[in-house]
Amino acid sequence: MSEPNVPQTPEAAEVPAGPYVYDYKAAPYRQITMPKTVPLPSYHAYVAEQKAAAEADEAKWQKTLADYETAKAKAEAEGKDAPKPPVRPVPRKDDNDMKPPVPQEATDADLLKLKELLGDKVEEIFEQAGELVCQVKKEAIHEALAFCRDEAALKYEMLADQSATHYPAAKDYACSVVYHLTSISRRKRLRLRILVPEGFAPESACSLYPSANWMEREIYDMLGIRFQNHPDMTRILCPEDWEGYPLRKDYPTVGWGQRDIAFREDRGGMLERIALQKAGQLGINLKQPKAD
Amino acid sequence: MFKNEEMEINLGPQHPSTHGVLRVKLRLDGETVTHCRPMIGYLHRGVEKICENQSFFQGQVWTDRMDYCSAVANNLGWAEANEKLLGITVPRRAQYIRTLLNEFNRIASHLIWLGTHAMDIGALTVFLYAFREREDVLDINEAFCGSRLTTTAFRIGGLREDLPPGFEKMVRKFLAKFSDCLEEYEALLTENRIWKKRTIGVARLSAEDAIALGVTGPMLRAAGVAYDIRKAFPYAAYAEMDFEIPTRTEADTYARYQVRMAEMRQSARIIQQCMDGMPEGPVMAKLPKILRSEVNEVYHATESPKGEIGYYLVGEKGSLNPYRFHVRAPGFINLQSLPKMAEGGLIADVVAAIGSLDIVLGEIDR
Repeated sequence: MSEPNVPQTPEAAEVPAGPYVYDYKAAPYRQITMPKTVPLPSYHAYVAEQKAAAEADEAKWQKTLADYETAKAKAEAEGKDAPKPPVRPVPRKDDNDMKPPVPQEATDADLLKLKELLGDKVEEIFEQAGELVCQVKKEAIHEALAFCRDEAALKYEMLADQSATHYPAAKDYACSVVYHLTSISRRKRLRLRILVPEGFAPESACSLYPSANWMEREIYDMLGIRFQNHPDMTRILCPEDWEGYPLRKDYPTVGWGQRDIAFREDRGGMLERIALQKAGQLGINLKQPKAD
Repeated sequence: MFKNEEMEINLGPQHPSTHGVLRVKLRLDGETVTHCRPMIGYLHRGVEKICENQSFFQGQVWTDRMDYCSAVANNLGWAEANEKLLGITVPRRAQYIRTLLNEFNRIASHLIWLGTHAMDIGALTVFLYAFREREDVLDINEAFCGSRLTTTAFRIGGLREDLPPGFEKMVRKFLAKFSDCLEEYEALLTENRIWKKRTIGVARLSAEDAIALGVTGPMLRAAGVAYDIRKAFPYAAYAEMDFEIPTRTEADTYARYQVRMAEMRQSARIIQQCMDGMPEGPVMAKLPKILRSEVNEVYHATESPKGEIGYYLVGEKGSLNPYRFHVRAPGFINLQSLPKMAEGGLIADVVAAIGSLDIVLGEIDR
């Protein structure tokens, strides 16, 4: 039964889209290149990588030596001159002011104290670029934060920053969450880090550090990590009904939510002109195909 | 409505005293605020996502456009964070010029705060005086890098250009008159009865609350905590400078006014020292043509006029752009303390509280 006051709209006719409709979903900038590596700084990983690189270097050198020996024997057998002995390549020294910092073993008293307090809940401690890093088990983050705040030898009063990073190429986890703590009285900084798999909700830091409130909301808004026992787990920067989490690596930089232009509704031709110009900038030929 | 019902109103997002597009949801009992909830995000442009998809150099123009009142301070934090990530040492002369421009920026930012904050509260005259001197600072910006607000002043590894000819004369001329100008502003405000009534005891935030809420900058120093990153974790050339950290213990709007006025005097002192002790030498480090990072993560914080601005960068091996670019915006964290300051006070004092926070929404929403 239709109501009398509502005007009846005729059903839209099935008009096929023209061949020159600009497909934003296939736009070149919409294509996402997912990261292939996991740039998670770690002392163990660095040491293992260095060891592997040194071994590979040594193996290459041994192979070069063996090749030389065979070549020499062959030359002697044939009565020719012996080939030149190989020279081990020396790594080239760059003459510039750039020395990327590498992870170093933890020697700072704060890190050792945390390791002593938390025991096997600490996954890793190291220092890099003068910064102290402590990675703890994801279930133990609340305990670690409580120690950092209340322990007399640590006294990190302020949670300066909290942030997260998406690592889609990692196997055991999806994101890392980092807590940057500042001790105002002792003039020190410390970074706590946890690795969280998809769907895991870490314990909120709000009860210990109220400043975590908005920062955790931002992490939820941008990366989709929910925090347990947070007083107000809602989006903060994006609208409430926003789809997706913009700072994940699988989120495109353009194209999301952009309306596809339907040329048949563009009577003045303005949209078509804009689209052609835009496509020209992107290097795509969108000219209308010639009629037969 | 005429009984004891509470009323809910929106302050903003188009209200001039919110310095941008901040919306504050207020619940009022008469004129007393019983509940306050700031709503942000109207200026969200996704700066972090954009910077992750651009090279290390290209991120700088976005830091200009976050807090457009203190672009140089944002540039400095960005440049130093990148230098820490890549392990670059910057020449000493470049450090001095950076420090000098950063302090000029602090003066400009505090002047804009002074003018607009006084205007919010009702003292309209100060605005004209404050903007007169701010114009001179912007002229100095223009002489150095060609633009006035969005400066893009620095490069990774130092500076693009050395100081232009005639720069020192401009700086000396500014320094010669600036202390008189400060006295002019103070003559208009410090003993002004209306100003004192509107600010003393208004929007208190104790030191414990401020630290718990992560509040930094003049807000924290007005509560008696002498925490200034320029002293606590010296960067640029601040370790060689002789200056004081002004603090007050009242923790109200008037104390924040006093702290910021004293900070401008200290900034002038630092500029004087920079100009007098300017070392000779190159202004750019020797760098490879293409910057490629190693696996590394850094958090570098500097003292912007609003508080601690921190950059958290993650580097990927051999990559040309940062894997993760996160900004700890001082305004974002400081704004969290608004409910604490506003609840229990009068609705007219909410405007004073927002003004004393010195927020710029471009930085809060990023």
